[in-house]
Amino acid sequence: MTRLPQGLATTPLATPLTTPWWRHRRLLPWLVQGAVGLLVLVLVAFLLGNLVRNLTNAGLLLTWSWLHNPAGFEIAETTLPFNASMPYWRGLLAGLVNTLQVVVLGLIGATALGTATGMAAFSSNGLLRGLARLYVDLIRNIPLLLQLLFWYFVVFLALPNGAAAVQLPGLVLAKSGLYLGQPQLVNDVWQAPLRMSVEFASLLTGLVVYTGAFIAEVVRGGVAAVPQGQWEAARSLGLGQALTLRRIVVPQALRVIVPALNSQYISLAKGSSLAVACGYTDLYSVAETTLNQTGRAVEVVLILLASYLVIDLVISALMNGLNRLVQLRER
Amino acid sequence: MVRQGPLRHLRRELFASRLDGLISVGLITAMAFLGLALLRWAVVQAQWAVIQANSTLLAVGRYPLDQQWRLWLLTTLLALASGLSWGLLRGLPRPDHPLRLWPRHDRIAVVLLVGLAVVLPLLLQLSLNIQMRWWCITGLLVLCRWAAGRWGQAIPRPWRRWVPVIWPLLYGAGLVLISGGLGLVRVAPSAWGGLLLTLLQASFAILLCFPLGVGLALGRRSALPLLRWGSVLYIEFIRGAPLITLLFLGQNILGFLLPGGLAPDRVWRAAWILTFFAAAYVAEAVRSGLAAIPAGQLEAARSLGLPLPQALIHVVLPQALKVALPAIVGQFISLLQDTTLLSLIGLLDLLGTARTVMANPAYLGKNAEVYLVLAVLFWCCCAALGLGSRALETRLNPNHQPAASR
Amino acid sequence: MTSPAAATSTTIAGAVMIEAQGVEKWYGNGYHALRGVDLTVHQGEVVVIMGPSGSGKSTFLRTFNGLEEFQHGTITVDGITLGDDLRQIDAIRREVGMVFQQFNLFPHLTVLENLTLAPIKVRQRPQHQVESQALELLERVGIHEQAHKYPGQLSGGQQQRVAIARSLCMEPRIMLFDEPTSALDPEMVQEVLEVMRELAKEGMTMVVVTHEVKFARQVASRVVLMAEGRVVEVAPPDQFFSNPQHERSKQFLGQIA
Ligand SMILES: Nc1ncnc2c1ncn2[C@@H]1O[C@H](COP(=O)(O)OP(=O)(O)OP(=O)(O)O)[C@@H](O)[C@H]1O
Ligand SMILES: [Mg+2]
Repeated sequence: MTRLPQGLATTPLATPLTTPWWRHRRLLPWLVQGAVGLLVLVLVAFLLGNLVRNLTNAGLLLTWSWLHNPAGFEIAETTLPFNASMPYWRGLLAGLVNTLQVVVLGLIGATALGTATGMAAFSSNGLLRGLARLYVDLIRNIPLLLQLLFWYFVVFLALPNGAAAVQLPGLVLAKSGLYLGQPQLVNDVWQAPLRMSVEFASLLTGLVVYTGAFIAEVVRGGVAAVPQGQWEAARSLGLGQALTLRRIVVPQALRVIVPALNSQYISLAKGSSLAVACGYTDLYSVAETTLNQTGRAVEVVLILLASYLVIDLVISALMNGLNRLVQLRER
Repeated sequence: MVRQGPLRHLRRELFASRLDGLISVGLITAMAFLGLALLRWAVVQAQWAVIQANSTLLAVGRYPLDQQWRLWLLTTLLALASGLSWGLLRGLPRPDHPLRLWPRHDRIAVVLLVGLAVVLPLLLQLSLNIQMRWWCITGLLVLCRWAAGRWGQAIPRPWRRWVPVIWPLLYGAGLVLISGGLGLVRVAPSAWGGLLLTLLQASFAILLCFPLGVGLALGRRSALPLLRWGSVLYIEFIRGAPLITLLFLGQNILGFLLPGGLAPDRVWRAAWILTFFAAAYVAEAVRSGLAAIPAGQLEAARSLGLPLPQALIHVVLPQALKVALPAIVGQFISLLQDTTLLSLIGLLDLLGTARTVMANPAYLGKNAEVYLVLAVLFWCCCAALGLGSRALETRLNPNHQPAASR
Repeated sequence: MTSPAAATSTTIAGAVMIEAQGVEKWYGNGYHALRGVDLTVHQGEVVVIMGPSGSGKSTFLRTFNGLEEFQHGTITVDGITLGDDLRQIDAIRREVGMVFQQFNLFPHLTVLENLTLAPIKVRQRPQHQVESQALELLERVGIHEQAHKYPGQLSGGQQQRVAIARSLCMEPRIMLFDEPTSALDPEMVQEVLEVMRELAKEGMTMVVVTHEVKFARQVASRVVLMAEGRVVEVAPPDQFFSNPQHERSKQFLGQIA
């Protein structure tokens, strides 16, 4: 027979334990936090001390007055009017507006493409399903930067100009730009109510195609997460395929999709900072030029970080609102 | 289910309805058109000389020619270590599978490896000498795999436990071989380039961001407010900023933050920034894994008398990391892709080197060829990582499910 | 009633193993879960705690090994007063085994590893010795053959028996059970209760939260009824079930009958 635990019970455990003062249930957490806090504090103080000392030596102590000096550089393409005689802050603002422009259009495009491809995964057509899978697997495993360079240098810059340009109904693709509306060839130059530069177009295409693949996965996952029983229940009630999708499946899928979309949207916004690859001037490239001219590294980096943080927060706030809407419908 | 004939299957998949048929015909036409155009371009128009002439540059950058034997040595050591680990892993008895020296997957992998070792050097028109080196290295790998699989179990168990240690050792040795020191001529980081630099940066960041990320994730779930808020602040700050701005910060401000002379070289700065960047994302992946573990696990461990650190190490983390594995590997894959951003801050990683090649007047306008090769390379690396993670996932899960709750 | 002083002296048969006095607990959200609870458990006793859902049974049980903190009162377990010293809490946890409603086996470890983890890591005993003891324990709870399986491959009743064996492997002096059979299919309840009966017969000190009346009648030394965070009645099982003294007890027995 096994030796039983209670065989021990005759030997008392209660050897008095001496308590070191620090091993106190309520004290220890504070001690740990104090130690960590002190460590971080010392590190930060050390870094900041160095920063101040080094900046003083270089004559670059934090100041913002240089923002009002004339920039002296041009930006090829701006929505907010800008020229070299305007101050730096105006240049940075123009860059920010350019960034916002590509981000907003990119979000719309990527959502459309991603939703379409994500839903294609549920098509009855095997070829379509396969192509959707191929698209996602292909795009997600190639770096965004490489794709942007590809779109710009290999696709858009290779477009012919003038009469040889690629002409589609209502759209002309030429090396000189993308023309939308009713493009007309005037003196071998295309003219249209809406024109996009190839730089902008390639950045937008790259971002849409890249983020679209991730959104497709999010959408597919969201729809797949709706239990099969929901489809069956709807069908047994006599609802058609389209109605089932619209009224039963999509509302439930959205509860999974919307939170995941948030991080994809933010990563698109951050991805737009690779605009330099396409020769498009966004906030980051203006900031880089500004730094090269003024040497104001700390200020420029602070502006950059703050701007992207604000963009992220705005996106998150919007998506949280949307999320609340989607989740509320349930109750 | 009754197996249908391929024709029936095709018909159901492609022509189930009239609309499906139309879509299929349209897609097939478009694909044929595109495929033919691509093929014609690849065979007729494309000039692959740009890759052939620059293959060494793309592989190792401007690493001094007379020191390149060190890289060959490192590659050989890596091949030996991989063969050994692979063989030993296969030799492990598994509850769900009969032990086989060459399971099907392994045979496929070997055929692929050998095929690559023969075809790639040929395509790149490497000199016969170099071609033969690749054959030898591949041969060594396969041989080592075979020997370890055959006799690995004969090695006493306590010794076998130490085999994984060769990897960190090898990593250290690799760093020494690449950068010099210990009697070897120093090769400055600025001379590292191409694929070598990309892999070095990615592996460095992957190795270090992992423990950092786990720490941050634990911090974020800690009961201590300071640790929790500190981790949250760090994670959200990093995740809010685009990597390029952080690299920019590293290149332009790190020098100011450290006393003169202490700031690392540009290459190492980028490596550290990549590490700190990836840690925040890994932390979020690990956190999702931790959240999936029921609180009862920690309670059970604690009520058995395990102190908190041991309960985390032996009970909570093994489960959490297993759950988080796909997400973590996903982060490693994006990290590998993110190394391309180094080319934007003037480092000569694979993409940076490629761009210098394309800037060479002799190869002007050869963008498509170069980008295509790079894309294929990255795609293969990332897809392989993804495949590996899925294989590991099934391996870690030998037909047991998590304890049924309720 | 034994005076608290007796608990600190050497433990002899029948000595006090758990002494709780005036225990009050508020949860973080301000909920007053325990409102001054007293209980004394002697060595070799089996105390069954019953009561309606939400009455604080689990909370009370979990204060014994420091899984829940409490704000007022004292708890002394096997001569150690639960205080603010972290090592004392660890020491108590080593001597007090706990079995949960949801088993809480470690799904990534085999059954054997589940049993040996704590003795090896905490008590630092040699592996082979712990393993042979674990195998004996598994034999006692009747699942010797499953030692190398994973918990997910076992039935609920088998899992709960493994959980009991896991606690026993630490050689505890007290065992706490929190509704050990509530998550089980009816046909598996008996096999777990049987193991607990054996344990009680061998003289283990046990505190059991359960709704199994038959088990309580046969095994319990005393039955405790809790309601709204208070102990309402403590009585030997015969008296408790046939002639409850308090209105609340009658009401409760009426509900579970
Ligand atoms: N972590 C917590 N935070 C706040 N309130 C809690 C918490 N845990 C339990 N409670 C509340 O404390 C009260 C007592 O809970 P406890 O789990 O001890 O009840 P119980 O008697 O074990 O009930 P049951 O039979 O359902 O297990 C309940 O009202 C519960 O809602
Ligand atoms: Mg309970």
